[in-house]
Amino acid sequence: MRFQFIVDEILIGLRRNIAMAISVVLVTVVSLFLVGLGFLAQRQVDTMKDYWYDRVQVSIFLCGDGSTAAGCADGKATEAQKEQIQADLAAPQLAAYVDKVYFETQDEAFKHFKEQFKDSALSENVTVDQMPESYRVDLKNPEQYQVVAELFTDKPGVETVESQNEVLDRLFALLNQLKLGAWMLAAVTLICSVLLVATTIRLTAFTRRRETGIMRLVGASNFFIQLPFILESMIAAAVGAGLASVALVGVTKFQIQDRLAQSLTFTNYVGVGDALMVVPWLFVIGLGIAGVSAFLALQRYLKV
Amino acid sequence: MIRFDDVTKVYPGSKHPALNSISLEVSKGEFVFMVGASGSGKSTFLRLALREEKATKGVVRVSGKDVAKLSTWKVPHLRRTIGAVFQDFRLLPNKTVFENVAFALQVIGKPRHAIAHTVPEVLELVGLAGKEQRFPHELSGGEQQRVAIARAFVNRPAILLADEPTGNLDPNTSVGIMRLLDRINKTGTTIVMATHDHEIVNQMRKRVIELEHGNMLRDEVAGVYGYSR
Repeated sequence: MRFQFIVDEILIGLRRNIAMAISVVLVTVVSLFLVGLGFLAQRQVDTMKDYWYDRVQVSIFLCGDGSTAAGCADGKATEAQKEQIQADLAAPQLAAYVDKVYFETQDEAFKHFKEQFKDSALSENVTVDQMPESYRVDLKNPEQYQVVAELFTDKPGVETVESQNEVLDRLFALLNQLKLGAWMLAAVTLICSVLLVATTIRLTAFTRRRETGIMRLVGASNFFIQLPFILESMIAAAVGAGLASVALVGVTKFQIQDRLAQSLTFTNYVGVGDALMVVPWLFVIGLGIAGVSAFLALQRYLKV
Repeated sequence: MIRFDDVTKVYPGSKHPALNSISLEVSKGEFVFMVGASGSGKSTFLRLALREEKATKGVVRVSGKDVAKLSTWKVPHLRRTIGAVFQDFRLLPNKTVFENVAFALQVIGKPRHAIAHTVPEVLELVGLAGKEQRFPHELSGGEQQRVAIARAFVNRPAILLADEPTGNLDPNTSVGIMRLLDRINKTGTTIVMATHDHEIVNQMRKRVIELEHGNMLRDEVAGVYGYSR
């Protein structure tokens, strides 16, 4: 009886306030979608870190014949300089950072270059002599590439120290900005949905003041009087969270996986699995916010 | 049943007390009229007993309990022991007679079979048998008030508070309502009825408490409305 009765009350309430219910749903959809985008941007950063940090190396390029860098005053790197660099890389204070070290000869560098640019006219015009020798350093923690870079820059025999991390860091900063932006917009729209839920409750409480007045009079508990109001806004929020989830999964599938991942193949992207992992959070946030703001609004607009 | 000890109620923003150090006791099974002009404090008395308002000063006891000391979540339980009837009936227009009465039981979580059993019984008692499926707007004023009384009484409260229950009814209909209230009183229910209907008070010869500007003028057993009026 009780359950059936509450369900009936909720249906009546939703039907009476259909326009308000729809607006709560729509605002919730937009705000939760933005929250989800924020989460996905975070996931994207993590995914890219996983992907790239397995592949990044610090490359210590040695001086060649025509080098003009500060460490190349003596011309082409000498055997002694190479040994010094090798010894430095093996030094105990770097053991915490350095995982493995390879030496790339001019011949190997030439081969790699040819492979990389095999369709380009460039590969026709280079010679083995023009290729730099280099030490390729695998790091234990790729995020600490700065330590190695600073240590070897401008050392005798070193022309330049490079790492893909510098590019990646800029990319991650961009993604972080995106995440922050999405979350700021989400915060604004979440505030909107809180206020909208409160207004809806206020209107509903007004249109149902006759019923609630009688309920109070005959001794219905506060919980029983307030429950339909809270459930109504939570149902609207759940519908909103559902739609936002569909939108988020849809964007991941059709925009990111089917389009972006096909056209920009330099890295991998968040997938439907990542989007699905965000979905429960959208429900938690949506329902939580609706429930709490409904409860607070009732304290104000539905005196018991 | 109901006991007021030196109770004063001043509404916020008002200088004059709506009730001014009132002390009285209504015993179990009594029938009491509260009389007085509009604004004399009758309704305030009823609202204090229902704990819709809290007394500014003094102690209000219902069934031996100090209502000011009840925690918020226990107030509904107090109200389940008190039925209330008003001048404007306060029925739900989109519910039938049966549903209006059943509503009072549904919202306190009574099971369906109990409702199916109790509601026809109380409708029979108030003289509305056969009109279960009517809507309030299809009923006369007197019948609507009977629905309201049925709703107030369906949970068998120990106390029934009536705030000018005949205020919107013609004299003949009012007599019918008074007979009904008298019958309910004879089942052992304590009744406090606020009214300014002279004839009813004079005919019934029950205890009369007269209020004026929040002060108690008299408290008479088997009284009449007033000699001077």
